[in-house]
Amino acid sequence: MTSFLALAPLLATAAGALVVLLIEAFGRKDNKDALGYISILALLLSGFFSMRAWGRGFSYFGSALVLDRFALILCLVFVAAGAFIILMSLKYIRNQGANFGEFYALILLSVAGMMMMASSGSLLVIFLGLEVLSVSSYALTGLKKKDPKSSEAAVKYFLMGSFASAFLVFGLALLYGAFRSLDIEAVRGALLRGTGTAGVPGWAGLALVVAGFGFKVAVAPFHMWAPDVYEGAPTPVSAFLTTGPKIPVFAVLFRVLAPLWSRAGGASVMFWLVSGAAILTMLIGNLTALRQRNLKRLLAYSSIAHSGYILVGLVSGDGPGIIFYLVAYLLMNAGAFGALIAVSRKGTEYVDIEDFAGLGFRYPWIGASLAVFLFSLAGFPPTAGFLAKFYVFSAAVRQGHVALAVIAVLASLISVFYYLRVVVFMYMRDPLASVEIERDDPALYLVLFLCLYGVIQLGLWPGTLMVVIRQAAASLF
Amino acid sequence: MPILSLVTFLPLAGALALVFFPRDGRRPARIFALAIALLTFLVSLAIYFGFDGGSAAAQFVEHRPWIGHGIDYHVGIDGLSLFLVLLTTFLTPVALLSSWRAVGERVKEFSFFMLLLETGIIGVFVSMNLFLFYVFWEAMLIPMYFLIGVWGGPRRIYATLKFVLFTMFGSLLMLVAIFVVYAKFHEASGRYSLAIRDLAGLNLAPHLQLWLFVAFALAFAIKVPLFPLHTWLPDAHVEAPTAGSVILAAVLLKMGAYGFLRLGLPLFPDAARELFPALSILAVIGIIYGGFMALVQKDMKSLVAYSSVSHMGLIMLAVFSLTVESTEGALYQMVNHGLSTGALFLCVGVLYERSHTRLIRDYGGVSRRMPVFSAVFLIAVLSSIGLPGLNGFVGEILCFFGIFRTDKLLAALAVSAVILSASYLLWLFRRVMQGPVQNPKVQEFKDLELRERLVLVPVLILMFWLGLFPGTLLRKMDASVTEYLRSVRASSAVLETRTSPPPLALAQPGGGPAAAAGGRR
Repeated sequence: MTSFLALAPLLATAAGALVVLLIEAFGRKDNKDALGYISILALLLSGFFSMRAWGRGFSYFGSALVLDRFALILCLVFVAAGAFIILMSLKYIRNQGANFGEFYALILLSVAGMMMMASSGSLLVIFLGLEVLSVSSYALTGLKKKDPKSSEAAVKYFLMGSFASAFLVFGLALLYGAFRSLDIEAVRGALLRGTGTAGVPGWAGLALVVAGFGFKVAVAPFHMWAPDVYEGAPTPVSAFLTTGPKIPVFAVLFRVLAPLWSRAGGASVMFWLVSGAAILTMLIGNLTALRQRNLKRLLAYSSIAHSGYILVGLVSGDGPGIIFYLVAYLLMNAGAFGALIAVSRKGTEYVDIEDFAGLGFRYPWIGASLAVFLFSLAGFPPTAGFLAKFYVFSAAVRQGHVALAVIAVLASLISVFYYLRVVVFMYMRDPLASVEIERDDPALYLVLFLCLYGVIQLGLWPGTLMVVIRQAAASLF
Repeated sequence: MPILSLVTFLPLAGALALVFFPRDGRRPARIFALAIALLTFLVSLAIYFGFDGGSAAAQFVEHRPWIGHGIDYHVGIDGLSLFLVLLTTFLTPVALLSSWRAVGERVKEFSFFMLLLETGIIGVFVSMNLFLFYVFWEAMLIPMYFLIGVWGGPRRIYATLKFVLFTMFGSLLMLVAIFVVYAKFHEASGRYSLAIRDLAGLNLAPHLQLWLFVAFALAFAIKVPLFPLHTWLPDAHVEAPTAGSVILAAVLLKMGAYGFLRLGLPLFPDAARELFPALSILAVIGIIYGGFMALVQKDMKSLVAYSSVSHMGLIMLAVFSLTVESTEGALYQMVNHGLSTGALFLCVGVLYERSHTRLIRDYGGVSRRMPVFSAVFLIAVLSSIGLPGLNGFVGEILCFFGIFRTDKLLAALAVSAVILSASYLLWLFRRVMQGPVQNPKVQEFKDLELRERLVLVPVLILMFWLGLFPGTLLRKMDASVTEYLRSVRASSAVLETRTSPPPLALAQPGGGPAAAAGGRR
């Protein structure tokens, strides 16, 4: 049904961003927190519109924007992600010298970009969304203007990201040549029928699109930029960059590629490309993480590894599993970064693993939450991380990719070592007297609590969410 | 009343309540945890008395929908798991009481993890759904990881990481095998199920069974541990705090053996039949290797740890022999090993608390200063050796009866377990307890205090009880064991050649080996 309401979630976020920018430019300078709350309000409004649109099948711009259930559930996840990041930054950006109203506007704009990607019915709009997301991300990365690492990260991210965009555009051009349409449904239909219209340009176009998206979510071998960027960016931004772009990108990849796997013959080339990338990503991410002593870098490599696990779900064509994985990853990763933010004080961030020695007993709540998030990232039951892996890997086995599943579980065995090593430092080493942290950030603690609750709730009773997710994934076919 | 859920989750509830206890007070946390553990034990006694030994079916079954797609909350208990649950609920309060003094700091956290561990272990034994089983199987690693890593000895971090990584290596491959079974069942029947009973009815192709069995067996063999996968065990034992060692040796290792009984054999009977001879050889190697390694240990704890390798080898050999006697013997021996090795670790703990060394050469002549302790230690040693009149004898003799019927050569080799354990344990006793006092510290030893007696005496009573009245256990497990072997035999005809027809005595209720063993007294 064509309705202007299809734009409502997107407009609410974008309008929020503009309002924040205007207030920043013309308003009083003393209370930046208010801008944060306005942004959250905008996000909640957008979430409200998304919920209202559930099951209505709104579309606009001649189905260039389609709010099917799949898009809507993702929009809700973006709202949650954006709100989490804003809540955990309120105090952080004040303390670490990056207190600009633009921060909130940029977060809102990235969320808008993600929404565009998720609800797009045309490959061109996906590109548009991705660019909105990317450009805001580059700016967010360099937000700590006085910190050279932050600026370096921003430049690196910008250069690499532009390359990726170029790949993507080239791929889209080839796809347009091969399929004579940029409409996702048309491309999907052609792939589903396997009419062979694709030919070499079609396959090359798909491969380039996958590579371009792979760049954005740090899939090996396109992951080199990621650790430096995640390390250099302000911590809440790292939290955002490790989860945010993953969600729309994998959703889009699933939307476009899913027909391939269901085709007889397994669409050999793409299958081998993507599963090869999955294996490479899991191994490189996990093996490199083993050597990290900086926790931000460690979580960066862990984020690469998780991209690999999600790719396993992608080649298994397990839509619900992927969405569940992304939600679970959002919760545990935002939680882990949130705990890192909690371990800081004005002007100082503690990110070296040595700084965490004995922390678990000195600050029991922060320590215990971080431990739970790490166990969840490692995939221990009864956490969301375990169920996420359970869904994705069991889908791989169901599709007959047993070897892939074996490699995936062995990769997660490697990850157990480095996640547990952090816990070793927190609970099994003697504390360092020099580490003192401030504990007065209720907004951050709210995020930690919500993530903790979500990780455990989804680990034990994922039923309700899975029902919704299955409905959403079913709307694709 | 959902009594199984109560037993499983009461410790968890206790642990969660402990979170809100003040951090500095030790006594309230200790007493509360102990009270919860005792309460759990009392509730579990109701399971024992309410359990119908004449029925092979799972009892106290609770079956509720949970996540869907075949993942249900499904628990029950039968003759195979009954005593392992009871052993857990019995030993947890014992272990908590034993660490009254040994654990002086972070008492609240310690008690928290002990209770969490209890929930995890009981959960493994009562799960009737493969998913639930796996969740408990893995979740239980976390508390053990903390118990060894935080309250352990100097090399605790190495030991605890090794323990977790070894165990996870096995269980992650098992997870993939679970996925395969899950997918195969869906293929075959069009519906999703992970109920163990459903999956046992799945007729898988032999070569597939072989792979799946290997994945499961690896997980279980690491847990047992079967030679050559045992290397994590001495490290974990030596570094763990006493309470951790007790639970580790007494209950955790049994999870592996239980896994073979509950899953390995029923799910993949053909593969099991094919691989049991090879596994039996590993078990025998473990018996002899563990025994000899125990002989040369300088550290009391690693001596007991290697004795565990040897004893668990015997239990596994009995499991692999697939006769009624050996299976009952194996179950019996699991309880025995839990009690006697638990007692031995407790005794080592008693000595360690007094002099803070575990090296055998630092002791000598302890019995002069600690006569009561000396008697307790001797009984634990004799129980572990298998002296008639004590529990160990009944289990071992049943095991050997069964093993002998299956393979005479292996049985002959396995009997060395008895000789070896007599040598290393009695030698240990002589070096530690008898002879002249060499270490001045020993002169100042005080005999067991009331708390320590409360810890050890219940274990001793059970040793005598199970030695004199084996029917207590056997009567409850006869039906389940017979049924278990019948189902295995039904699905693999070749087994008939390996085992003789079912023993005659089993026709009478509550009879069989129980009556035979009782009659020998």
